Amino acid sequence: MNLEMKRREFLKVMGWTGAGLAVAACDRPSFITSREGRNHVVSYLEPEEFAIPGVGVTYASTCQQCPSACGVNARVREGRVLKLEGNLNSPLNKGKLCAVGQASLQNHYNPDRITKPRVRRDGRLVEIGWDDALALLREKIGPDAGLNGKRFAWMTDTISGHQAVLVDALMESLGSNNHYVYEPINSAVWRAVCRDMLGDENPRLGIEKARVVLSFGADFLSTWGGAVSGSARYAEFRNAPRGVLIAAESKMTQTGANADLWVPVRPGSEGVLALGIANVLASSHGRDLSALPASVRAQIDAHDAAKVAGITGTSEEHIKRIAELLHERSPSLVLAGASAEGHEHGYDSVAAAMTLNLILGNVGRTIESSAGFPFPQLRARSGNGRSVIDFAQALEEKRFDVVFFKGVNPAFTAPAALRLNELLAGGPFKVALTQFEDETTLLADLVLPLYSSLEDWGTHVPSIQPERNFISIQQPVMEPLYPETRGFGDLVLSLLHMRGDKDYAGYEDYYAYLQHAFVALPADVKNSVTKGVGGDAAFWSAVMQQGVLEFNTATPAALVAKPVAFEVQAAAAEGNGYFLLPSANPNLWDGRHANLPWIQELPDTISKAVWDSWAEIHPKTAAKLGDVKTGDVLRIASEHGTLEVRAFVYRGMHPDAIAIPVGQGHTAYGRYAKGRGVNPYAILATAQDRKTGEPAHHMTRVNASVIRRADVTWNNGSGMDRLVVQGGSSTQVGRKLVVTVSADQFERTEGGRA
Amino acid sequence: MSVTGLLFSGHSSCTRADTVVDRGIRRLPVLVTLFVLCAFAFFLPQPAQAQSPIPNAVPPTDTYSGPRVEQPIEFPHDVHVEQNGINCMYCHTYARRSKVAGIPPTSKCMGCHLVIATDKPRIQKLTEYWEKREPPPWNKVHDLPDFVHFNHEKHIDRFVLGNDFPVERVKEVCAFCHGEVKNMTVAEKSRPLTMGFCQRCHQANEGPFDCWKCHK
Amino acid sequence: MSLQNIIENWSSYRKGAEQGGHHNYEHLWGMVIDLNKCTGCGACVTACYAENNLAVVGHEKYSRNLGMNWLRIERYWDEPDLGEESVAEYQHHGASFLPMHCQHCSSATCEPVCPVAATYHTPDGLNAQVYNRCVGSRYCSNNCPYRLRYFNFYSYYEESWPAPLHMQLNPDLTVRDKGVMEKCTFCVQRIRTAKDTARRERRKVRDGEFTTACAQTCPTSAMTFGDLLTLHTPGGGVGETEAASLWKKHQVELGKSRQQKQNPELRGYRVFEGLNTDPRVLFLERVREV
Repeated sequence: MNLEMKRREFLKVMGWTGAGLAVAACDRPSFITSREGRNHVVSYLEPEEFAIPGVGVTYASTCQQCPSACGVNARVREGRVLKLEGNLNSPLNKGKLCAVGQASLQNHYNPDRITKPRVRRDGRLVEIGWDDALALLREKIGPDAGLNGKRFAWMTDTISGHQAVLVDALMESLGSNNHYVYEPINSAVWRAVCRDMLGDENPRLGIEKARVVLSFGADFLSTWGGAVSGSARYAEFRNAPRGVLIAAESKMTQTGANADLWVPVRPGSEGVLALGIANVLASSHGRDLSALPASVRAQIDAHDAAKVAGITGTSEEHIKRIAELLHERSPSLVLAGASAEGHEHGYDSVAAAMTLNLILGNVGRTIESSAGFPFPQLRARSGNGRSVIDFAQALEEKRFDVVFFKGVNPAFTAPAALRLNELLAGGPFKVALTQFEDETTLLADLVLPLYSSLEDWGTHVPSIQPERNFISIQQPVMEPLYPETRGFGDLVLSLLHMRGDKDYAGYEDYYAYLQHAFVALPADVKNSVTKGVGGDAAFWSAVMQQGVLEFNTATPAALVAKPVAFEVQAAAAEGNGYFLLPSANPNLWDGRHANLPWIQELPDTISKAVWDSWAEIHPKTAAKLGDVKTGDVLRIASEHGTLEVRAFVYRGMHPDAIAIPVGQGHTAYGRYAKGRGVNPYAILATAQDRKTGEPAHHMTRVNASVIRRADVTWNNGSGMDRLVVQGGSSTQVGRKLVVTVSADQFERTEGGRA
Repeated sequence: MSVTGLLFSGHSSCTRADTVVDRGIRRLPVLVTLFVLCAFAFFLPQPAQAQSPIPNAVPPTDTYSGPRVEQPIEFPHDVHVEQNGINCMYCHTYARRSKVAGIPPTSKCMGCHLVIATDKPRIQKLTEYWEKREPPPWNKVHDLPDFVHFNHEKHIDRFVLGNDFPVERVKEVCAFCHGEVKNMTVAEKSRPLTMGFCQRCHQANEGPFDCWKCHK
Repeated sequence: MSLQNIIENWSSYRKGAEQGGHHNYEHLWGMVIDLNKCTGCGACVTACYAENNLAVVGHEKYSRNLGMNWLRIERYWDEPDLGEESVAEYQHHGASFLPMHCQHCSSATCEPVCPVAATYHTPDGLNAQVYNRCVGSRYCSNNCPYRLRYFNFYSYYEESWPAPLHMQLNPDLTVRDKGVMEKCTFCVQRIRTAKDTARRERRKVRDGEFTTACAQTCPTSAMTFGDLLTLHTPGGGVGETEAASLWKKHQVELGKSRQQKQNPELRGYRVFEGLNTDPRVLFLERVREV
């Protein structure tokens, strides 16, 4: 071997050989991939001035994947929408977008969309035309139908803007007030507490202003209060001076996974932990409790750290450390979410958490009013979980003749113990306004296919307004894929026309209505956009381009904190078995995104599992159940049913709890969702929070046993008898892939602190 | 606001050929026509030679002759370019702004042909499409494999706009890759458009050689 | 120059002129990922699927580690110091998230082993993969210490995009077929578009004019993408890009296998730097209040 051969010489030779070969090969046209004369090129009939083939156009619109109402920019090329980005103009998401928002595209292009109206004939859903569908509707809810308005109900997801106005108008025209706004993943108890203690149901939470955030299961980085806006605030919170995030919860949420300190809490004892922290704040740090009701003071006095540690399973040391951090670093912010809310005493636990904010003086500093949105009729009708229980009750009492569903899938998300499927099957005439054949749609008598969110018009008002009040505009970014689908606004408007409603008779379609509504805005609003140049047309096109319309509103009055009495307790110690936590899934949400292949293949934040369900358990629980390893199949049984699901063992659980993320276990809903994983909603008890009536989803007790061991060997042929997760080792095995440094060091180098 | 014209372009890199219509084996008459046309083209006078050459450019010389691609309407490029002196970029207007040159929108054809030559059968066929509100389904002639990303804009910039070459004579640059379209009725592929063809031209004209310029 | 010299200094052949190497880089695209801000949410992963025509392989193929996620977020749990027996009962400091995509190493270990030169370094410092040149030897992925190259064992397009899902495919880049290797390109189609636009407007590419799909969508803005070489500011003048200034601020220098920082407490580090791959992705260490 010639060791002296120069590498560059060597490369040169290689290069020449390579080039020679390449040129020889490169003159052979590729018959495999080139399709001369067999591909069509279709031109525009009439081009838009601004559309350049090969370059594309960007349209502003609003994401409809969750109730947040983030602004999006859709990149459209040759008439096809290709990619969504966050809209920089939106004061909510400021140019950012979450995974689920990115996946709206697959909602729009989903191969399982319903393309024609369907009606139930002889027990089967068969396709019909729109004329027949509307004639049938006229028969049911038309002016001559003789329908008693009280016997009409409509269940929707969170709805706001001009769609909400139209829905209200239709309900009014029918003489009904049975509008059920249902969101399985919500913060209804938190909102009730805010209403009672702050006088504002939707206060703005200044995470970025806080120096300590203590979260009792409020997953503000994913499912609680808007993932993208929460994340943006969190990012600012982490800048120097760096805020400390503490999570106290029974199952590690995504927020918990990013906490500086994560402490386990026995399910249902979050309120007790809050009292314990208040106790230390008063006894060790001299915080003043005199403003609190006597009964609350008595409860705080009665819960010293040692006692609380016994009840909650959180160590005394941690309770004291949390109190110390909250005391020393001000302002702070205490939040409470699903795991605190989901018990019979959920309201009391959240009130106890909110009381900490009062003690720490956070109201007015990190908790501010978001009131001041100038058009109350457009405000969001925020969904809750109680509505489905009330709805089931009404069905049981046979109070409805006609029910509409839009954007909800109660047949999947309601606890099976409510027997909603049974009640619906025999009950009223059911109309589903939907895009997909989900479980509720399959029960419907009439299915009306809607446009996707990228084909439809709309306006959206986030329930919690950011620093600037605004409306987010939804506009079609693409021609509808299917000619026999309709826009939601258009459909409601045509129903109003059918009812002979005079107020809306002048609007040919929803677009005309929206345009009129915007043009009719006060002159100062319009001038703030157009700067006085150009008329209504200029205003309208400017709003469409920006995707949002902001309002200059006066700063709302400061919040006045008003402590309330509550009765904190821990979940009953007696009762057999583990607490089943149906945890909100950051990506699948309540199951509405299970039909999106990108989301199914996106590994879960915590377990990294894909395309499946899993049950999260603590190693202690695993040991108790018989040396359970990740991937072993557990049978989990409540008094309402049984699930079989693979275990995921990690140390982010309380040993008394088993968490199964919701969202899988569909029996319908298209090729990507159907028959995958399990649905924990199916085995939940129907308990309710005593004060708000919200479903107490976190207090179902279950037994668990292992029924099959995973086969993790590679040569078993199928390769499937295990939990499919991304990645190999669950620790870094000393490889220093992620290096962690102390906050002190961070402050020294990046906070300018010496 | 409306979003007109859903356009399924052959430029879509989707290798699923949903929009592909296989025309099958060519019939003999087409080949004969092709031969006749080629022969005809050979004897035509070549006015380009009379003009000054394109500065800073070494035009490629390779030739190609393959099956002729039929079109729904036999569009006469020669009438438009040679007889009426219409600039290539009057119709293929995006060439200077985009990676694709673009097929003219039907409205552009109708802009003239609402009044011009309305008695000709080809125009009547065009009018039929226009009245049906459908663009004619043109077949792709200069097709490249999906992993090749040719960019018209950059080539126009290199040889015309950024080269002080009069835009009126852009057809001489177009001819580098598209041949003498001015002499054709329906456009035919008369350059091989293989990688070797591209490479030789890039070598002669000092174009980039980075693979990722075109393949990505 | 002896073989020994080549072995010891081979990375210099991949270095830019400014580091005493042979490359005259036009740009040197790089990234900074702040692990103090990354929440592991996965928005970047889905954005990458949308931008880059990544195939969805399904449950069964995923179970055989065939997922085509160019960008993945690794999640690690705390571990006891090596050698220590016991582990804390709970995961008290949450999880450690690490977004990993091709590190675009300056002296990439995948490049010299490709028998057909399908993977190489572009003049703007990208680690390129040329699909039509790739013959599927998979040597490159074998040689990648980060395991960030993904091989098409199947013709995924046959099942990944049933109509009309295929209408979403990005026409600016190729849909890959069976038998070729693929990986993160730093969204080369966006880079090329930005460069073309700049060229048309007779100017240089400006910092912040475009970014990669992952960095654009990141809800916490944990990712910063930019040119580590040329320094053209949005105003048109010359300055430092945001990404370059972060590299400088954290005193991490390209072309080194061991950094000599003046302030060793600064957070910047590169994964497996000691392997002398000279990665172009700078991570900023995770921070925890302890």
